[in-house]
Amino acid sequence: MNPTAVRRLAAYEQLSANPYRPWPARITSITELTDKETLFELRLIDDDVRDAFKFESGQFVEVSIFGVGEAPISISSAPSKQGFIELCVRNAGDVTGALHSRQCGDIVGLRGPFGRGFPFEEMKGNDVLLVAGGLGIAPLKSLINHIHDTRHEFGKVTILYGSRSPEEVLFARQFDMWRHRDDFDLHLTVDQPDETWDGDVGLVTNLFERVDVDPAKTFGAICGPPVMYKYVVAEMRAKGMEADRIYVSFERRMKCGFGKCGHCGVGHQYACIDGPVFNYWEAMNLQEAM
Amino acid sequence: MFFRVMDKDRLPDLVRGLAAEYEVIGPIAKGDEFVFAIVSDPTELRLDYDTTILPPKKHFMPPTESLMSFRVQDSEVVGEELDRTPRVLFGLHPCDINGLMLMDNVFLQGYEDPYYKARRESTLIVGLNCMPHEGCFCKAWGTDEVHWGFDIFLSDLGDRYFVSVRSVEGADLLDRCVETRQITPEDTAEFQRVASEFQASFEGQPDTSQVPLLLDAKYDDPIWEELGSRCLSCGACSMVCPTCYCFDVRDRLEPDGQEGTRERVWDSCLYIDFAEVAHGHNFRASRAARVKNRYYHKQWGYLSKFERVLCVGCGRCASACKADINPRIVIEALQAGGGSL
Repeated sequence: MNPTAVRRLAAYEQLSANPYRPWPARITSITELTDKETLFELRLIDDDVRDAFKFESGQFVEVSIFGVGEAPISISSAPSKQGFIELCVRNAGDVTGALHSRQCGDIVGLRGPFGRGFPFEEMKGNDVLLVAGGLGIAPLKSLINHIHDTRHEFGKVTILYGSRSPEEVLFARQFDMWRHRDDFDLHLTVDQPDETWDGDVGLVTNLFERVDVDPAKTFGAICGPPVMYKYVVAEMRAKGMEADRIYVSFERRMKCGFGKCGHCGVGHQYACIDGPVFNYWEAMNLQEAM
Repeated sequence: MFFRVMDKDRLPDLVRGLAAEYEVIGPIAKGDEFVFAIVSDPTELRLDYDTTILPPKKHFMPPTESLMSFRVQDSEVVGEELDRTPRVLFGLHPCDINGLMLMDNVFLQGYEDPYYKARRESTLIVGLNCMPHEGCFCKAWGTDEVHWGFDIFLSDLGDRYFVSVRSVEGADLLDRCVETRQITPEDTAEFQRVASEFQASFEGQPDTSQVPLLLDAKYDDPIWEELGSRCLSCGACSMVCPTCYCFDVRDRLEPDGQEGTRERVWDSCLYIDFAEVAHGHNFRASRAARVKNRYYHKQWGYLSKFERVLCVGCGRCASACKADINPRIVIEALQAGGGSL
């Protein structure tokens, strides 16, 4: 092997030798999305560790703020973009609160990536119907961006995204620019509109009446608050989609990230290693899932 | 595996020989009970112990352990120590050896846990046969015997031990530390007799043959609500369990706020915030959901991954629980048709 390959292999082995060990990563960009959610761009500092870091859409990392703790955060950027990751983070707890007080250039810790992501390769050549509720757009954003970067490999791509109010719409600027694209069928809806809102109003499930689905060639991807899954799955099933073509991503309390600490149990599985992405066939056979 | 015989009066030689090279941990008395602790003198060893308050897991995964020390400023890990102290765990009963092997499945498969692995690799296991006491139901799970998972195993034949030697390290140890002799047909016959007596002395073992099936069928049974109404969510069952491995990770800062330690501490799925996520949603807010999860995980979830249940029938949880909840009671209630205890 050439010296670079040897060095990278060593870095990879280092990455996996102690999966509890966070690696320093610099915050390279901070974009406020709403008054609670911020998009952080992070770049692992060590060149070899950064090169060894490979992820799939739907996977997550553990963000480490030494002295405060760690939080599992799904990756929002696409694997087609290397060298950095984007995390869409809600200021909701100790770690995410501490992260929100950090500035561009500050250093935090990163571990991962962990978990099973969306079956991107399997989805190729098919239509994709993505349904997000609230912060559930965060992991789906990675998949959406990845599809975007290899758009010619997919059929029809439909995005249904529900938020509570217009101020809570995440990635609003980008979605606004996408509204008139004909290669993405994008529908945004809010529960509580204001005078500026010209999108749909009501639950995300209402949007299904305007979506045509070819069940044999469509994959579904769902992420949102716990209460949302069964209603969205029911809509997809009503469109004739098979259970094993519908993918759901679950939020749980992944503490270690690799199947040891027990906190993210869903029925007989762990969200961190068996998920967080499950297909609905698996999820319906999983107690506590939905 | 091969076998030797050691006269009982040689036991102090063995323990002293071990102590010269290893930290020896064995059962010693604490009040009316027993604990696994460092043995400073062979006479302290209580090989007549029934069970210990805590299982031996604390010597592989201490209640609190440092994972790493860190520097806050630049998020650097400044220290990462693995405990490779040479140790011998002396006098483990088959249930506890089986318990360790179940822990191994979790910590040594998939992503390896370097902290557990370092201790496990540095520790020799000396097993000891036992006779069932009141709380034992190991036979129900088939964890009343071990055929591997130890370096040497001592079976008490009255005036001598029948020594099963499993590992090279165990054989070397025996060679170096103590005088043993070849087994005779009489020794083997006595070993067989003791094993049969052990097997025959179990009473009232629960019928576990249908447990996974019952758990599957009775997921929504009212029994869980009733157990939930009794459970105190104290987590004592998890602490004393030789196979409960769940943990929490916490950061402890030095007074200057610049450096600190990331620690792993024992946790319990019965604690109210165990499955709570950041903005307050709790996936197991009710005690009933948490008790149910504990039993489903141990006797269904783990089974689905490793083809064994995550219980060795040691009976410690039954002694520790103030609300009278234990696997025996749960299994019997499920078999009786559920509904009510």
